[in-house]
Amino acid sequence: MSQPAHVVNVDELEVVDGRAYENLEGWIPKLATEAEIHEALEKAFDYRGDISLTFKSGETVEAYVFNRTTGKGLSDSTIQYFASNALDKKKATYADIARIEFSGKDRAAGKHWEAWVKKYAEKKAAGEKNIALMPEVLD
Amino acid sequence: MAVPISQMWTVSTYVLKKKLAGNKRYPPVLMLEPLFRCNLACAGCGKVQYPPHILKKQLSPEECFAAVEECGVPMVSLPGGEPLLHPQIVEIVNGLIARKKYIYLCTNALELKRRLPEFTPSKYLTFSVHLDGQREHHDMSVCREGGYDIAVEGIKEAVARGFRVTTNATFFDGTDPNSVRSFFDEVMSMGVEGIVLSPGYSYDKAPDQQHFLGRAKIRRLFRAILSNRKKSWKFNMSPLFLEFLMGKRNYECTAWGSPAYNIFGWQKPCYLLQDGYTDTFKELVETTKWEEYGTASGNPKCANCMVSCGYEPTAVGAGFGSVSGFFAMAKAALFSTYEDKGALDLLNNHTTFAAHRDQFVSVDTLVGAPKLEETRV
Repeated sequence: MSQPAHVVNVDELEVVDGRAYENLEGWIPKLATEAEIHEALEKAFDYRGDISLTFKSGETVEAYVFNRTTGKGLSDSTIQYFASNALDKKKATYADIARIEFSGKDRAAGKHWEAWVKKYAEKKAAGEKNIALMPEVLD
Repeated sequence: MAVPISQMWTVSTYVLKKKLAGNKRYPPVLMLEPLFRCNLACAGCGKVQYPPHILKKQLSPEECFAAVEECGVPMVSLPGGEPLLHPQIVEIVNGLIARKKYIYLCTNALELKRRLPEFTPSKYLTFSVHLDGQREHHDMSVCREGGYDIAVEGIKEAVARGFRVTTNATFFDGTDPNSVRSFFDEVMSMGVEGIVLSPGYSYDKAPDQQHFLGRAKIRRLFRAILSNRKKSWKFNMSPLFLEFLMGKRNYECTAWGSPAYNIFGWQKPCYLLQDGYTDTFKELVETTKWEEYGTASGNPKCANCMVSCGYEPTAVGAGFGSVSGFFAMAKAALFSTYEDKGALDLLNNHTTFAAHRDQFVSVDTLVGAPKLEETRV
């Protein structure tokens, strides 16, 4: 995948903008063309939540897509995923996929620094002790 | 330099053997992530944002050993997630020690004091404790009040039990260099072997996307922090990498220098970026388009990166790659005060951090600070 060249001298950058957040939660992309399928699965690979994958066989799985390789066409382009109810890695070709939905919660969304500082200030002002952000419960 | 001679010998002979054998890509350290689960929820972290079924997964000890043997590294870093949450972490550590690998177990130390009796001190095992600065700075950084005190308790207990201990700090935009220098005094007084530090990286998946340092500010910040050094400060890092952070050297990224392995496989291209995975280390090395990464590539994802996982292997290679590199490394290790009046001015004119970080004061709010100076040699 080729990358665009820098338009500025990176050694002179004072601060770097983070990546703009794209809200994909709940999105059901159109998969009418090869380009749409490639774009949707690239976003699925980038998404930090589960995806509902419906295959042309009729099977549907909730899965985390952690890898993709792109070939010349749909039949030699693949995704790798962990289904939410299985231990092993699975692989499928782009050609196998009939529908995808960004059904799972986006785990990278929100929780900005400013939100933490605001929450901290509010709780501090209310006299709370041991203020913290806690990891989400897994079960 | 804080790294023990036996470890330096192991790494230097590894690098020299690989060079003499004509190997082009020979990572000195493996970033082995046994799990992504963590007991903190830091806003700046891009490593733990996964659905619960992914966070419950972990590498088995056998998978860890196979990865280490496959890539043949002399050093293994165990980050995460929080490695001490892995139910078989003791077995993993003992297995790596048996293989004579130098291990850096990276921990936030919330569980360290409780778990220490399960481990045995060894020259091969170092607890690398995440501390991002003085108490209030660290607690705000990890989004947990009291985190610093728990970590320090763990550090002191580990030192008392005879373990090798380093601290590991990441600095983001808004860092106060004066506070960092005071922090160095504090951690060295705890009896740690050395300090590890790195500028933050703008992970795509970090919830906070606004506080990442650019390369110009990174160099100015580290020039202020690392010049006019106290003799009591020890750094568990390549001295040439520290000079790179200070703007005294210009290196390109060695993206393959610290490969990452986790439940998904071998991560392309590096520990920080996730451009895909391979099933084998060989496939990682042979199929990754390395020329597409690093600042020279123009890849915008690499634009602000000066992180140790890509640039410290370059510094290590430079140190052992030529006679002049070796002498530069020796000079940096032996004569390491780096007196610099300009850096003192940066410190003296710095408007310090607010007590509870309720407002950010950036390094560029320096009174009378000149425009970026080119300090490379």
